[in-house]
Amino acid sequence: MSTPSVSVESVTKRFAGHTAVSDLSLQVPSGGIYGLLGPNGAGKSTTIRLIMSILQPDEGRIALFGDSRNSRDLSARIGYLPEERGLYKKMRVLDHLVFLGEVKGIARAEAKRRAQAWLERLEIAGWAQKKVEDLSKGMQQKVQFAGALLHEPELVILDEPFSGLDPINAQVMKDIVVEIAAGGRTVLFSTHAMEQAERMCDRVAIIARGKLVANGTVAQVKADFGGRHVALGFAGDRHQADAILADPRLVARLDDYGASAELKMAEGAEPGQLLAALVAAGVGLRRFEVVEPSLHAIFVAKVGADPDAEPLPAVAGAAA
Amino acid sequence: MNKTLAVIRREYVERVRTKAFLISTLLLPVFMLAMAVLPALLMSGGDHTTRVAVVDASGSGLGQPVVAALKAATIGHGRAARPRYDATLFPATAANLAQVRDGLIAKAGFAKGSGQHGWDGVLVLDADTLASGKLHYYGDNVSSPEGMNRLQRDISKALAGVRLAHAGVDQLLVAKAMVPADMDTAKVTDGKLTGQSGEASFALAYAMGFILYIAIITYGSRTLTSVIEEKNSRIMEVLTSSLTPFQMLMGKVLGVGLAGLTQMAIWVGTAFVLGGQGPHLAGAFGMGAEAAGKFAIPSVPPMLLVVFLLYFTLGFLIYGSLYAAIGAMCNTIQEAQQYAVFVTMSILVGFMSMFGLINDPSGALGTTMSFIPLFAPFTMPVRWSMTAVPPLQLALSLGLMVLGLLACVWLAGRIYRTGILMYGKKPTWGELWRWIRA
Repeated sequence: MSTPSVSVESVTKRFAGHTAVSDLSLQVPSGGIYGLLGPNGAGKSTTIRLIMSILQPDEGRIALFGDSRNSRDLSARIGYLPEERGLYKKMRVLDHLVFLGEVKGIARAEAKRRAQAWLERLEIAGWAQKKVEDLSKGMQQKVQFAGALLHEPELVILDEPFSGLDPINAQVMKDIVVEIAAGGRTVLFSTHAMEQAERMCDRVAIIARGKLVANGTVAQVKADFGGRHVALGFAGDRHQADAILADPRLVARLDDYGASAELKMAEGAEPGQLLAALVAAGVGLRRFEVVEPSLHAIFVAKVGADPDAEPLPAVAGAAA
Repeated sequence: MNKTLAVIRREYVERVRTKAFLISTLLLPVFMLAMAVLPALLMSGGDHTTRVAVVDASGSGLGQPVVAALKAATIGHGRAARPRYDATLFPATAANLAQVRDGLIAKAGFAKGSGQHGWDGVLVLDADTLASGKLHYYGDNVSSPEGMNRLQRDISKALAGVRLAHAGVDQLLVAKAMVPADMDTAKVTDGKLTGQSGEASFALAYAMGFILYIAIITYGSRTLTSVIEEKNSRIMEVLTSSLTPFQMLMGKVLGVGLAGLTQMAIWVGTAFVLGGQGPHLAGAFGMGAEAAGKFAIPSVPPMLLVVFLLYFTLGFLIYGSLYAAIGAMCNTIQEAQQYAVFVTMSILVGFMSMFGLINDPSGALGTTMSFIPLFAPFTMPVRWSMTAVPPLQLALSLGLMVLGLLACVWLAGRIYRTGILMYGKKPTWGELWRWIRA
């Protein structure tokens, strides 16, 4: 196996009063998309800041490309989008991108050429001479995204890249991330949006309270979780189903969304038994499917909390 | 190095491009000119011809020579000369003195509006005047020290002439004896004449100190606000993953410094152009050629310019990095101001010390301060322009400046490294010490 792009070994980081990351180990292999999943406050951003050498670990060691130097020394190979977005508000968009390229070591003329290309690709070329503060939050985020990628880094680290974006812009960003990975480069991004992670990531690590709870390829994580899972879709009234879904002999775990639900079958119970019981009770079904567990379901089971139940992360960086 | 250049360019361009830069570039000279010219204009009592009524109740014919002396006084020299006084004699006796005097004061008044007949002042000579030199002047310009001194000088001259004549001294001899001393001062450096007058070299030193003071106060402190802005806009995290604290610090201080220098260059350049046109401009503003001469720009000896620029650069970098370090420690400008006071105080001490140096540029105070990096940028150019500084002292002082700069940048870099990512409460002195040692 080739040298991992990021290697975190038994890293612990404590802040006054609490431990943000506790004995965390993970390896991001070279190439592909790696998702760092976890609820708010799980330690995702701290982990990323440790990887970026913005914070120093109290214990353990971190290596990038097998090199344990400060990430700043390898900065030309790394692109970073911090969770707290920040740009110089008074700078013109194009100048700002050129500056971000220059501090990564790209010659000015080349940085300008690439910046223009990015602005066109992100469909904000018309804003090139506007001040950053005149742009909407979503546009600012695109500018910062382009700034992180301008120097064509082989490792791209994105902290919550899709938060605060409307679906259209999120789609544009997603396409770019997928394209980077398709080009053989490595993307590491953090998110608490499980469905998106499930669709995009080759590998994931789920962390909660600073600890790793699951790790590996998406297929591995699902296989490790085990059990048989059923996705249900209700047609109309569903309260007759409540008693059946609460039966511990049939259902081990229920993830209820109201009009739909995902559940894990109890040990020894067959999906057919469940279907028979539901039909007998007269529950109208739109969907009944034996499925792989979703990352969301695994997440909820492992972490014991719904990632979406907590308030969405403040996009304070972009809003400020 | 290229990265530092990118930071310098950014800091420079973003600053020079602002409206605030344009406005301050235009307005400050206007303000400073007003500060310099207005008091001088007000204090000089004006350069117009003063109409004086001389009431002679001396009984000894004192009025005639006094009026003659006043008529001889001129504003300016040579062909441009105009009479300083328009004096008219009113003979009187001890008995009707008060009546004549009050009549002149009341009839004409001192209002400018009374035109041809308005007296600017009434001079009263009585019987005692010749012996005691005591006389009275009633006028609307009595609070102008310069005008009154000049009037008193001119009258003294007339009195001395009359007294000598009474003592039987020949009139021609008196005229010869009364030719005043006219002293020109010139500065000597290393046994050579520099061609500068004493007044000019002080003015030059003062101007340089003032430029440095203004530059540090306005631009040095801007590194502080700029660091705080970067912290608050959270761009710091992107920067710190690409740039070393040293690159960020030096780029910022140099970029801001260059913006400051640009503004200074515009001012100084304009001043030189205007200085060359001084007499024309003075005429346009209704000032006499003599008043314009006061604002002429003395030529700067090349060595002094080199010394000044060296100290200016070193001083600016030292103070700039100190301000940047304070910015890194704090989260709000208000918070930073508490720490910045210490830096501002030492700038003030350095600036104020210049005035102490005027009397004794090579004294213990001047020598000591030349060796303290925080003060030397103010002290040394003043000493250099006013007296001959031993080369060894200059070398030692510059050496200490460089060491001081390295120490400041190192210290600021340490604080910067930790401080720029610290949000929330400001550090205690103990924490600060830990940042520096870490």
